[in-house]
Amino acid sequence: MNQTIQVNDMEQTKSNLLSAPDRVMACILDIGEVLLKGGAEIMRVEDTLGRLCRAYGFASSDVFTVTSCIILTARLPAGDVMTQTRRVPARGTDLDSVARANALSRRLCARPVPLEEMQAEIAALRQGRSYPTWLQLLTWGVVSAAFSLFFGGTAMDACAAFCSGLVLFCAMTLGSRLRINSILLSCLCSGLTALTVALLCAVGLGQHHDKIIIGNIMLLIPGMALTTSLRDVINGDTLSGMMGFFESIVKAMAVAIGPAVVLKLLGGF
Amino acid sequence: MIQTITSFIGAAGFALVFNVRGKKLIWIGLGGALSWIVYKLGLELSGSPFAGLLVATIAVVAAGEILARRIRVPVIMLMVPMLIPLVPGGDLYYTMRYLIGDDNELFLESLRSLLMQAGAIAVGVIVATSVMTNFFAFYYERKRKLEQLHVHITMDT
Repeated sequence: MNQTIQVNDMEQTKSNLLSAPDRVMACILDIGEVLLKGGAEIMRVEDTLGRLCRAYGFASSDVFTVTSCIILTARLPAGDVMTQTRRVPARGTDLDSVARANALSRRLCARPVPLEEMQAEIAALRQGRSYPTWLQLLTWGVVSAAFSLFFGGTAMDACAAFCSGLVLFCAMTLGSRLRINSILLSCLCSGLTALTVALLCAVGLGQHHDKIIIGNIMLLIPGMALTTSLRDVINGDTLSGMMGFFESIVKAMAVAIGPAVVLKLLGGF
Repeated sequence: MIQTITSFIGAAGFALVFNVRGKKLIWIGLGGALSWIVYKLGLELSGSPFAGLLVATIAVVAAGEILARRIRVPVIMLMVPMLIPLVPGGDLYYTMRYLIGDDNELFLESLRSLLMQAGAIAVGVIVATSVMTNFFAFYYERKRKLEQLHVHITMDT
């Protein structure tokens, strides 16, 4: 007897979950958007959305995701079919929000919560959290210095790389505020870094300008996009994989060509 | 030695740039150092950077996949920063510089080296990811079956 009540309860909650199916679906897409924006693989996005649809009581679901768009079609238990599309303009790298969206979807699949609660959770997720700017600035400097040592620079080179890493971070931040196209931005910024390095070398801080510049451009090489695109290809999402792969190759070339041109113009080296 | 330390700092720093938080930074740093050590060993044993990079990539991907399932985070979160010390940034730079500097011979040589290194990493990622995915699918399937068996046994007795 007790058990039947429980089962009825569960059925009740399930139908409550789908009281406003279009809003539930929008929420599910919100989670997908956060994942895709943070740089998750296509497979992860599709898998997560499918699971969420199942957990929220849709009878079946079809998800199609490419680099910049999510299309979700689901069938309601009553037989109605609905589709929503979400355009995701820019794909960046925010692994923290990927991890949190992933954790949220696990939680929701294990115990689906009503719509209002879900909306609140998503708002919190979207808030995002990032390191304070000074720490990011410092990290760019430290990473530049570490890689210039890594590629065979001296201690003086590392100091120079630290300084030009700081310049690079400021330029990148400013550039993305101005909404410059990201490929052009990496080209310009790496060129600017080369200019800074040439100045530092002229002043006497740092001897091997190539080691210093390599330390800096390591930060701009799209390693993340490249690895993700390879994983996409393996997972069978060849379309998105090729898009990401091509984009990262163009970006890598842009990053390397900036300093090369600047150094050529400065003459010699 | 200095390169192992700097690859630790580089990988952990990169993870911070990618907005990874907490204790994972240390794991990622260790993974970055691991990637460099394995690469050096492979280079020493085989004498070819291609083989060294391939082995290092496979080791890092395997470590990342296992660790990600242990601490329950997306695999890319660990794998990408760990691979960073292997990225051929130096060759990329020299290739472009020789290209601009009209130095054909050196350009072709460094381009060849760049493509080979990038190819080694790509092949390593592809091979290791597919193998690990299949391995874990098999592993979980077996674990599930064993658990079911266990339930049956306890129900019988």
